[in-house]
Amino acid sequence: MLSIRDLHFSYGKRSVYTGFNLDIPAGQICLLTGINGVGKSTLLRLIAGVLRPKKGTIVYPETMGGEPRRKIGFISDQLSLYESLTVDQTIRFHCDVFGLDRIDDRLIRLTKIEGGRRVKELSTGQRTILHLNMILSLDPELLLIDEVIHSIDAYLRRVFLEELIALIARKRVTVLMANLNFHDIEALIERVILLKSGTIAVDEPIETLKKKVKKIIAPAPPAGLTILSQRPFPDRSEYYVYPYLENSALRDVEVVDLDLTEIVAAFIGGEYAA
Amino acid sequence: MKVPGYLGIKIDFQSALPVYEQVKRAIKLAILTGTLKDGEAVASIRDLAQRLQINPNTIIKIYGQLETEGFLASRPGLGYFVRFEIACGGNDRSPLFEALSEDFVHQAVELGFTREDIQKQIDKIFDRTTGKPRHGQ
Repeated sequence: MLSIRDLHFSYGKRSVYTGFNLDIPAGQICLLTGINGVGKSTLLRLIAGVLRPKKGTIVYPETMGGEPRRKIGFISDQLSLYESLTVDQTIRFHCDVFGLDRIDDRLIRLTKIEGGRRVKELSTGQRTILHLNMILSLDPELLLIDEVIHSIDAYLRRVFLEELIALIARKRVTVLMANLNFHDIEALIERVILLKSGTIAVDEPIETLKKKVKKIIAPAPPAGLTILSQRPFPDRSEYYVYPYLENSALRDVEVVDLDLTEIVAAFIGGEYAA
Repeated sequence: MKVPGYLGIKIDFQSALPVYEQVKRAIKLAILTGTLKDGEAVASIRDLAQRLQINPNTIIKIYGQLETEGFLASRPGLGYFVRFEIACGGNDRSPLFEALSEDFVHQAVELGFTREDIQKQIDKIFDRTTGKPRHGQ
């Protein structure tokens, strides 16, 4: 279990977290979402140990041992790679730091990243794959993924996801990913955590969430249901509701199931409208 | 009838039917219709997860349930295998019938048809298929 207790963090005078709590059981695949600037990346960095909390504790699963940071794979959009090193030098440096003889560079070869190229000459996608390849060599138990898969091309994204799936299939790895775009990761996610002003606004297993958030197309706002956000149209408007109750006595309406992208947009849309 | 192969399963994310339920049904149907033959190995957990881009834990859950229901048998270290005879109770076609009906009824309900609509539709298709209109109609 990854346990975050009473976490406090601020950037200067701007508080991001004041007494934040979160538990993630080992092996769970979680999505962390919320509007831009809500603190998703900050939370990942705090868990990764890149940032230090002002107060509070982060307890890592026991299986991660006395040096948990070695077992954390943090894949960020601001990748910690040395720009002027070549790919080969980067890998050698990585091996020296972590005491490895060599690493399996299958991904780097698969995606045709040349060893002599400098990191600064690589595309975002290639840098991500290089980084992922090194992280996989450390056999991580906790994987923190910060938005990166948005900025890489469709093929490399598939390679990335396949590697992630293989890792989950191989061992009990806990994954926390911050994302705003979900169509290709929806079926990986077990739990959705939506942040709002430094607290958890929604925390549900994905299957529950899909049952509870619906779009209702109706001539007037559906009575008795909480509306997250709406899209007005001249005739019948669209109302995103949560929680939707199966026995709602709604007449003359259409109830539409939603995918995760639409669900998150419904929550976030409500925040923009507020 | 064209039998859907389970490896080409397309997951419908807009459906309220959970992903595991969609995949489980597709595999069950593949077994019941003979796309997957008795004794044949099903895809490994990792393989199917990567192919469908879904969580391997979901596949573990599906295979586990299909094993409990008698559709699959696991052989340690080798993976999961189809148990067609047992799943289908020899010549008893009723599990196949049930799986097909389940699929049909579920989809019809999802499309918003009522019990009455479905029953009428069945009668109509039955008549058309057998060429024997029901008595009194």
